[in-house]
Amino acid sequence: MSTVDTNLDLGILDIKDVDFYTAEGGFMGVKCKGEDYKHVILRRIMPIEHPLAYISVADHENKEIGILRDVTALSEAQRALVEGELNNRYYSPTVMDVISVQDKLGYVYMEMKLQNKQGRIYDKSCAIKDVSRNIRTLGDKTVLIFDVDGNRYTAQIANLSKQSLKKLDAYLF
Amino acid sequence: MKSFIFEYDLGMDMNPLAGSLVFAEDGSITSSANGTELFRFFASEITEAVVHAGVGCGLLFAKAEGKEDRILCRFTMSGIKQAGEFAKIVNFFIANGTAAFPEEEEKRICETCGRPLMAEMNVCVFCYSKLGVMKRALSFAKPYIKQITYSQVLGLVPRITVMLSPLFIRVLVNNHLELQMGTWFDILLICGAMLLTRVIGDGFFIYTSRIFNRATIAITNDLRVEAYAKLQSHSMSLFAKRTPGDLIRRIMDDTSTINEFVTDLGRWVVDMFFNFAIAFIILFYFNWQLTLLVFIPVPIVIFLLRRFWGMMMARFERHWRWGSRCNSILHDIIKGIRTVKAFGNEEKEIKKFSSATHRHAKIGEENEVLWSILFPPIGFFMGLGEFLVLFIGGWMVLNGSWWLFDANMQIGDLVLFTMYLGFIYGPLRWMVHFPRWLANTTTSMVKVFEVLDDESELKPVAKPKNVPIAGTVDFDGVFFGYKSYEPVLKNISVDIKPGEMIGIVGKSGVGKSTLINLTMRLYDPNTGRIRINNTDLRHMDSDHLHENMGVVFQDSFLFAGSFYDNIVYGKPDATFEEVIAASKAANAHDFIVQTSDGYNTHIGEGGQTLSGGERQRLSIARAIIKNPEILILDEATSSLDVETEASIQESLNRITEGRTTIAIAHRLSTLRNADRLIVLSEGGVEEVGTHAELLKKKGMYYNLVMAQRQNSRKQEEEAQP
Repeated sequence: MSTVDTNLDLGILDIKDVDFYTAEGGFMGVKCKGEDYKHVILRRIMPIEHPLAYISVADHENKEIGILRDVTALSEAQRALVEGELNNRYYSPTVMDVISVQDKLGYVYMEMKLQNKQGRIYDKSCAIKDVSRNIRTLGDKTVLIFDVDGNRYTAQIANLSKQSLKKLDAYLF
Repeated sequence: MKSFIFEYDLGMDMNPLAGSLVFAEDGSITSSANGTELFRFFASEITEAVVHAGVGCGLLFAKAEGKEDRILCRFTMSGIKQAGEFAKIVNFFIANGTAAFPEEEEKRICETCGRPLMAEMNVCVFCYSKLGVMKRALSFAKPYIKQITYSQVLGLVPRITVMLSPLFIRVLVNNHLELQMGTWFDILLICGAMLLTRVIGDGFFIYTSRIFNRATIAITNDLRVEAYAKLQSHSMSLFAKRTPGDLIRRIMDDTSTINEFVTDLGRWVVDMFFNFAIAFIILFYFNWQLTLLVFIPVPIVIFLLRRFWGMMMARFERHWRWGSRCNSILHDIIKGIRTVKAFGNEEKEIKKFSSATHRHAKIGEENEVLWSILFPPIGFFMGLGEFLVLFIGGWMVLNGSWWLFDANMQIGDLVLFTMYLGFIYGPLRWMVHFPRWLANTTTSMVKVFEVLDDESELKPVAKPKNVPIAGTVDFDGVFFGYKSYEPVLKNISVDIKPGEMIGIVGKSGVGKSTLINLTMRLYDPNTGRIRINNTDLRHMDSDHLHENMGVVFQDSFLFAGSFYDNIVYGKPDATFEEVIAASKAANAHDFIVQTSDGYNTHIGEGGQTLSGGERQRLSIARAIIKNPEILILDEATSSLDVETEASIQESLNRITEGRTTIAIAHRLSTLRNADRLIVLSEGGVEEVGTHAELLKKKGMYYNLVMAQRQNSRKQEEEAQP
């Protein structure tokens, strides 16, 4: 039985053809096959499973230039640029500790200790509405929390203390 | 100088930072962070300020002619609305050369604790007064206060009769049974008196319950109707930000919770505390030392129950959520059963569902095990008071006084004590659940009150100017976005003359339907105005506007009811002949009369028993029955096959003749006869002109037509044998 047409051009970019750089205005640019795109948008196609693989590269009008199959295959300098840009687009600080959880009027009010990608640790209070939708467990390892403003936080179950897990337990399913 | 300040919270390196971007009246834009000015330039140097939403964060950047896009600041999602507002003000300045600042918005901050209010909440979850909320809920009882007072006063009779039984038994035991004195007639007299009081009490209970329940049902009904009426008065934005499930839950379930609260409070809670007070007084009167003994285990029991209750509630809630998840899976599978079967995925779906039910059952089992371990000890402590009373009371019956307990006690007194103990422990047990009961009820009350207090974005006008809807429709500098930071329409300015047929074209997502939504005043523009006959839509009654407007959507919704019901929905006072005329004009009459019950034929919910063409014909009839001044056709024929479309198009051509019509159509050929076409691109007006003029211009419309022609040709070629 044949599978999907594998000859279909997925637009995978050859890493030899791409040269990422930071443009003057602060956006990421890329030189690719003779074209110079001064404002590109990087998107993770499978953000949870493959944060550093299958990265869609699109121009500022959201037209896909191609897909970067593996960020780790890039040179060190190029990789640092791409990872930095991905970190700028995907902001989901890690939950280090759950300080308190209060259920009030249908909202869950949570105080957490967070760490961002740059290693900065800080406290944050947020409100979560409709917890069955906005506290999501992915497999048995990761918890995604979305607050009422649209901010998101990621918790690795294995890294949370027993006390933190106990506070979160009622909302994990 | 007036200014607008956007406080952003992330640095360029994505670390938390307190920065501000200030747009001043003179058009200057200044960014500062930690007391240092980072940059300053003028809005006239750029062409557009744009908000870009990332994942969990966003950025604001500036576009400039011949220059690279420049990032102005980064922020978490908490700042995205403010960023959108900032961009809107800057873009208005760029388009018009003047600054327009929004009216000083009341900051959504709790006056008591200073915390920001949660989105979609008008009360602070930390400071709201439970008493205040209760008072407000009880204020709905005002119109029924007479019935409630009457039922409560008469309700004292059954309460008192219940409390009399132990006293009768005491007399029976002490005066007759213990002493073995008296005749069968004395016993019959006491039993008869007990029976009589019981019958009287029950009679009064039935009578007062009926009055009381009628009042509470009326209160709930009033609340429900008021909340529903409030919903109807809202703009579409409320329905966009709250799901149908959420709104239905508020109107049906939360009002039911309030009903339960009022009923429980009025009957069982008052009963319990009345009985408690009477029992306490009687017991205290007979033997105060023994009465105090009853309360010894109470603090331990309350402590244990409160401690375990929180844990059990969390576990039960988890169990409930898994149950809800099982329901969702089941709902999803049954709804999509055709797809499941077509892909042969029955086994996979069975596994998915059984895995969820297995988890649900496992959590349930764990909860039951825990419950069975925790609660017998609590029951034991609760029984300890009864045991102490029986032990010491029994001792006193046999031996007279004991230690501090020096009163003389008879068997009847002891029976009386044990019987009244139930009245004491009942409220105490209930007090343990009280915080949860109160929390659930106040949550529901706040949810309902939110609907009642939510202010519609479509502000009602005190003195509406209901001018005839026959004049020019004029869009004047209209900006609009469903999310303030994502403008869909930008600076739309166009006039539509009376009787003109206007076609709106453009790629998907450019704002065609949004323009129509604004014309129907389902939303108000963020800036700019829409006028009909020189009157701003905001100065008219929405009802007046809608009475003079007919609309046909791509997937028009038909309600469960007859053909007749659905057509007169557009004009409830229409005569039957008007209904026939509208049906004939919409080419709907022929298929209606062919059904068994003609115009009385019942169509199911959503009109699912009809074909797409039939549904569209009915919705056209519904739209034109009121002979509207303005007709709006939003992809009215797009979902139909070419043949059906041609037949409906014929009726539409007849109906739109000489009537102001605004139409969107996917197939550009259907708009060929429009007086003018408005081509939208990226939210703005790209071209305006007739079909011929725009083709000659060879601009965006020309490209769209050519692309569509090429596509049709390709399809035709592929269809050739």
